[in-house]
Amino acid sequence: MSPITLILIAIGLGLAGWLAGRAKAWSFQKADANVRLVARPTYHAWYVAVWVVLPVLAFIALWSFLAPQLVMQTVLASPGAEGLPSFGFQRDSILSEARAVATGSAQGVFNSDAEALIEPFREAISHYNLIGLVVTVMIAFAGGAYAFLRVKPDFRARTRVERTVMIVLLLASLVAILTTFGIFASLVFETVRFFGMVSPVDFLFGSFWGPDPMSNPEAADGTRYGAIPLFWGTIFIGAIIAMIVAIPLGLMSAIYLTQYANPKLRAWVKPALEILAGVPTVVYGYFAALTVAPAIRDMAVAVGISGASTESALAAGVVMGVMIIPFVSSMADDSIAAVPSAMRDGSLAMGATQSETIRRVLFPAALPGIVAGVMLAVSRAIGETMIVVMAASTAANLTVNPLERMTTVTVQIVKMLTGEGSFDHPATLSAFALGFVLFMVTLALNFIALRVVKRFREAYD
Amino acid sequence: MTVIHEKLVDTNAKMRARDVSVYYGDKKAIDEVSIDISPDYVTAFIGPSGCGKSTFLRCFNRMNDTIPVARVTGTIELEDEDIHGNAMDVVQLRARVGMVFQKPNPFPKSIYENIAYGPKIHGLAEKKPDIDEVVEKSLTRAGLWDEVKDRLDESGTALSGGQQQRLCIARAIAVDPEVILMDEPCSALDPIATAKIEELIDELSGRYAIVIVTHSMQQAARVSQRTAFFHLGKMVEYGPTSDIFTNPIEKRTQDYITGRYG
Repeated sequence: MSPITLILIAIGLGLAGWLAGRAKAWSFQKADANVRLVARPTYHAWYVAVWVVLPVLAFIALWSFLAPQLVMQTVLASPGAEGLPSFGFQRDSILSEARAVATGSAQGVFNSDAEALIEPFREAISHYNLIGLVVTVMIAFAGGAYAFLRVKPDFRARTRVERTVMIVLLLASLVAILTTFGIFASLVFETVRFFGMVSPVDFLFGSFWGPDPMSNPEAADGTRYGAIPLFWGTIFIGAIIAMIVAIPLGLMSAIYLTQYANPKLRAWVKPALEILAGVPTVVYGYFAALTVAPAIRDMAVAVGISGASTESALAAGVVMGVMIIPFVSSMADDSIAAVPSAMRDGSLAMGATQSETIRRVLFPAALPGIVAGVMLAVSRAIGETMIVVMAASTAANLTVNPLERMTTVTVQIVKMLTGEGSFDHPATLSAFALGFVLFMVTLALNFIALRVVKRFREAYD
Repeated sequence: MTVIHEKLVDTNAKMRARDVSVYYGDKKAIDEVSIDISPDYVTAFIGPSGCGKSTFLRCFNRMNDTIPVARVTGTIELEDEDIHGNAMDVVQLRARVGMVFQKPNPFPKSIYENIAYGPKIHGLAEKKPDIDEVVEKSLTRAGLWDEVKDRLDESGTALSGGQQQRLCIARAIAVDPEVILMDEPCSALDPIATAKIEELIDELSGRYAIVIVTHSMQQAARVSQRTAFFHLGKMVEYGPTSDIFTNPIEKRTQDYITGRYG
């Protein structure tokens, strides 16, 4: 019996409990019109239903983990299992074949040793299925009966139900937080392994990046793992070139849309701008690689710069900047629109022009939101991969010339993890160290952004 | 039909409105109002909520321009100059006709910067000592100097509601306007703060032409010398405050004054 069936049974019993609880609560009122229920009958109903369903769900979660192991133990203890090899791949495949036939997901077996195990599997599975079903029903009834007996006119069912709701919401929010910790923990684990092979000093301060996945993993050459060119490439493309494009354009479009555009135009332009945020980054990549990069190369050649490459940091950065415009503009738009109109009126009534009002009153008041938007845009940009892969190459290069090839942290992570190297090799593990650094930097950026917003939030209340 | 008391006819006028109507989209909010604003007195606009008195007030410094659907017809003159005419820029107009709003709206800047804002944008004071002087003078006139002189670099929004409103009045005074429009300046304030603002209005009258919109008849009686009563977008009666309150000509005015409606 699959967990799905058990869950359906639990829900069915929960519905029965719900109806029973409500009927009982109603009956108090019906028997004596003077009785005032502390909670409305629906809450009594939910109280009983919760007591039926939640313990059962807990049991099902436990059981779906426990039952296969119990089945396996029973099968191994059966006479047919004596001839099995004591460990290894063959033993596992025999067992899984037998189980597949027993559950009906396969027709026959390749390995004749599995034949003898089919019947024990079948018996054990049906045995434990029955136990699971019985226990499920018993728990449901026990929980239901407990709750049902507590249904009385003066029972505060509502507060209990609401507390349960709160706990469920709390668990939901914990999922995101725990996932973050899980990601962090796994990164830390692999990063520590990497730093066991390559010294953090070489990694963080070295200026040559060229890990060789084919080299001897036992004797990693620390001088090939200097990540400075990658950090520089990331900052140069994501935080400098992209922001030089995105911040002015994003802010100006936000100011135009909030302050000058008439409502009809705004209703048109704002969604169009937001569509820009929905274009897959790989499509921007085409655009960067096929249109922008050659155009930049041609322009560079035209003004007499020889040796300009078709893959350049400038192309990737500019296209990335265009991609980021909607982030900056929509955050700036929101925070400018959130400045009370009394500020704007106050300034206009002083005889300030519209641009003076924007520059000296609205913009400073909206600054926290704008800064937060820029921070988010930066952390989005430095995490971007596709545009860089397609337009700025995968070769690490420490230079300040935007017309040269360059690469970023994320691109190298992809390159290292999709390569041929094994997971014990420092070249592969370096991806985790890079990811760790990237994670810390974006975390810090987000943290700063939140602090900035909080600090200035009360500026105009 | 508007009744204008004889005492007010043929006096000199700082601002003059003729047949002014305001439309919000298709809705007529103000219907052909004509009024002369005296330079020497405080003029109060009274009337029930929604009668259009604030809308009309906002015509005098063209603040209705900031509302996209609002449309103003008729003429308004400041010292015989048409405020919608080519010879007058809206920026100049607003420098000459200041405004104080219903809810205190200091900028989220320091007290000093709040006052210095107007003089700076109009180029009235460029150097630091000049600006310092304007700040002190304006705050003194607004009766706020003694309370804030030691904390000029604190945020204007940190002051109490009444202080904020006096800061806004000081801010308006700083550009040395000829007219100050006040749109229910005390409606968000407690009685003590209200009393201070009223006292301030009294002191400022004579130096500036003041027009105040108020929903409190007592306030109109206390601070103004001229009162106009508005009802349903029309100006019903305009006369010396004492006459309007003791001896109104129109029955609707009398009904409002005596609390029959509103």
